[in-house]
Amino acid sequence: MTTYSKEVIADLVAGRLPWPHTRRIMSAYKDDDRFFKYVEVLQDRVAWDHRILLPVGDHLFITDGADGRVTRCECGHSFGDYRSNWKLSASIIVRDSEEALREIYPNSDLPDPAWMEIREFICPECGTMHEVEAAAPGYPVVHDFEPDLEGFYRDWLDRPLEQA
Amino acid sequence: MLDKSRTVFPLRDRLLESERLMEQTGCYDGVTELCLRREDPLKFETLHTKLRAACVSAREMARRISASPGVREVGEMVVAIYTPEGDAIALSNGIMVHVHTMSRFIKWMIRNGYEEAPGIADGDIFANNDAFIGTVQVPDVMDVMPIFHSGRLVGWVGAVCHELEAGGITPGGDVCLAQERFTEGLFVCAEKVGHNDELRRDYVIRCERNLRMPIYWVLDEKAKVASCIDMRESVKALIDEIGVDYWEKLSKEFIEEGRRAQLARTRQLTVPGIYRGHTFYGHVTEGKPGFQPLGPADWLYNIPLEMEIGTDGKITLDFEGTQPWGYHSMNCTPAGMDGGMFVTLTQHMNFEGLVNDGAWMATELKLPEGTWTNPDNEQAATATSWALLLPAYGVFQRMLSRSFVARGFVEEAFVGQVNSPMIEMGGESQYGTQFGMAHFECAAAGSGALAIKDGLDTAYVGWNPESDMGNIEIWEQSMPMLYIGRAIVPNSGGAGKYRGGCSFASTWLLNRTEHLRLVTSEHSSRVFDNGGMCGGYPAPTCQKHRAVRGSDIHERAAAGLPLAHAPGTDPLHSDLEVLGGEQILVEGPYITAPHKAGDVFTHSYNGGGGYGDVLERDPAKTAWDVENGFLTPQAAAIFGIVLRDGLDGRPEPDLEATERRRAEMRAERIARAVPVSEWMARERLRIEKADFAPEVRNMFASAMRLSQKFSDEFSRFWGVDGKAIFLGGSK
Repeated sequence: MTTYSKEVIADLVAGRLPWPHTRRIMSAYKDDDRFFKYVEVLQDRVAWDHRILLPVGDHLFITDGADGRVTRCECGHSFGDYRSNWKLSASIIVRDSEEALREIYPNSDLPDPAWMEIREFICPECGTMHEVEAAAPGYPVVHDFEPDLEGFYRDWLDRPLEQA
Repeated sequence: MLDKSRTVFPLRDRLLESERLMEQTGCYDGVTELCLRREDPLKFETLHTKLRAACVSAREMARRISASPGVREVGEMVVAIYTPEGDAIALSNGIMVHVHTMSRFIKWMIRNGYEEAPGIADGDIFANNDAFIGTVQVPDVMDVMPIFHSGRLVGWVGAVCHELEAGGITPGGDVCLAQERFTEGLFVCAEKVGHNDELRRDYVIRCERNLRMPIYWVLDEKAKVASCIDMRESVKALIDEIGVDYWEKLSKEFIEEGRRAQLARTRQLTVPGIYRGHTFYGHVTEGKPGFQPLGPADWLYNIPLEMEIGTDGKITLDFEGTQPWGYHSMNCTPAGMDGGMFVTLTQHMNFEGLVNDGAWMATELKLPEGTWTNPDNEQAATATSWALLLPAYGVFQRMLSRSFVARGFVEEAFVGQVNSPMIEMGGESQYGTQFGMAHFECAAAGSGALAIKDGLDTAYVGWNPESDMGNIEIWEQSMPMLYIGRAIVPNSGGAGKYRGGCSFASTWLLNRTEHLRLVTSEHSSRVFDNGGMCGGYPAPTCQKHRAVRGSDIHERAAAGLPLAHAPGTDPLHSDLEVLGGEQILVEGPYITAPHKAGDVFTHSYNGGGGYGDVLERDPAKTAWDVENGFLTPQAAAIFGIVLRDGLDGRPEPDLEATERRRAEMRAERIARAVPVSEWMARERLRIEKADFAPEVRNMFASAMRLSQKFSDEFSRFWGVDGKAIFLGGSK
């Protein structure tokens, strides 16, 4: 069975593993013990001790702890129950004018702000930009991911979660 | 009509029985045990490798018969081997999107009584480019031939080439101006075009008389027939070796193994649950010559997707809520949608094991009738269906990538798809002859970023995983235009911790022609058709085209004055303005009066979306990007990176200043941002008044008319009655 050390996984996740090594990992059979090593690497990275159940973004996790299962920013900020859309509890910057769009696209063709806006979803505590939506004005905010957490741990990882 | 009640259709009965067995057992053709694999796994794998080798070898041979630079240079071809029922067993590399569209074509013939008429015999050649039978678009012409052994039909071989000219209302293959089927070009509808291994002479004559550049299509036909014969003989030789009964059992086990492997890979690489995403496409044709007033001239397409991954590993994709089909060339048929699913899976998940139709069988597509994904009118044109298909499957790529990130396989997460615009052309060639062509250098645009590194620069398109832009000299031989510039387009990748891959722009001088029609297609206007991930921004779209008619470039060259080689990075002005002559700026599809020698034309391709927060971008990488033309110095500011001139004059990051600037930017973000709930309360007032551009209002109205689910979700989200607002109260 293919397996890698926690250090290799940590370097891979951080984008600092040398490309030839990364390339070999991409071409090889996948390592079945990846998930828990990955979670360990992420758990080491954060300053809090809520248990990471599932990463759902680059700095966004579903965690389990005293405040239940919530979506949490790497800085520790909670966006509330993991089953609801974390974006609705975030802060937002909407770029819906040429001036605001030009800040991001200084030398390119722009979208027409009457047809499309950019929505930046931001952690109100640390300012990390967790997600960017490009949407027509008036379009509902997308709930990107509703994981089947119970099914994942029970049927795929063979480590059923305790009742929340 | 066939009198089916009095005719025996063993092949059709077999197909129905195979489908019934799948329904009954959940396994392909009722194969619940992989007996041959268990008995001798090495032999099992070896035989599949032989079949795959036969496919790859046949494709490479065929590419050398073709006259088309699209096939020879770029590899716009795929071949595959099928079961008698039309399910793919093994395939070559290339435009894998068509492996399953050919499957649909074979099944269509079986269902429609081809066993009786026109009959299916050894040496027959059947061709098709009708998307409602089984392809993506008119230029994707497929040929299949049956394999007979011991007097039995034991399978099919098939080959597809993307034709560079299809004889439509506008030249080239992707016929942008087609608004109905009847202007898309030369259709071959599941036609028997040859027998005894030879193409019919009258079929070839029809091609020669109905295409602007028949040499491409006709030699591609010969290339495809040669590859089919080559594969057929390889399969027959293999059957001689292993016996026909073993072959029939083996081919089914290959597919069932492929199905199981796909389910297993999904369970291995992803996380079960529901994933959602969306993208958009802006179609702008108001005032353009040639477009008939059959539907809205300007149309904003919304493409929402929902992906469900079950704990059994099955992936279901649902397009509910998208726009209706329309009188334009961007509609897609279920065959094309299947193809998009197949090519995406082959890139993202099927990088090991047996790749065949089994992977497709582990998925389900929900394509609402009447939408662009499943038109309920077979007169709908599909000549540029990639325009919507690529952005849609870009969303699929991002949703899959989110699952890879969740599972820890960050090296597989890929922001993905690029909808790269095409140039089609026709008229008088540099040799004084009639010609028509699609330029395929777009097959090497910029990719989306990965979760661990930047995207690929000038090296990716979704439809052909072997991206290749071809040799510049070959393209120059094929068209009356000479390159005067090819350049990286700075900032064309979306910004992020890892930026999207950059694309490129080409600039040409028209040469030795008095009549050249240039048409572009498959580029979104006014909206992004791609996206970023996890905080990355979308890549900008290339919606504007520039040209100079009657330029003074020859005079400037003679006087030793500077020439224009690229459109430049000023969004309001083009570097082409240095040239004298009439400056042309066109938004959306480029359709104008013919050009002629001395004119200059430029075309940019798209880059991919970014991944992660821009404030985490490595400053050293940005300095390198600026130094090498992938980023303008102004754009470095997006990342909060402060550059300074190094000792050798090269840009280098000022790390301390960068750190300070980034801290300021984080603080500015927090100060500038408002709670989403506050923004929603303001937006709700705007929605109640439907205070949007007409195209946005029409988009909501069309989506709600077709989908109660979309209407309900919209209404629930905003706390309004969506139908009352956008449809005037009709429930």
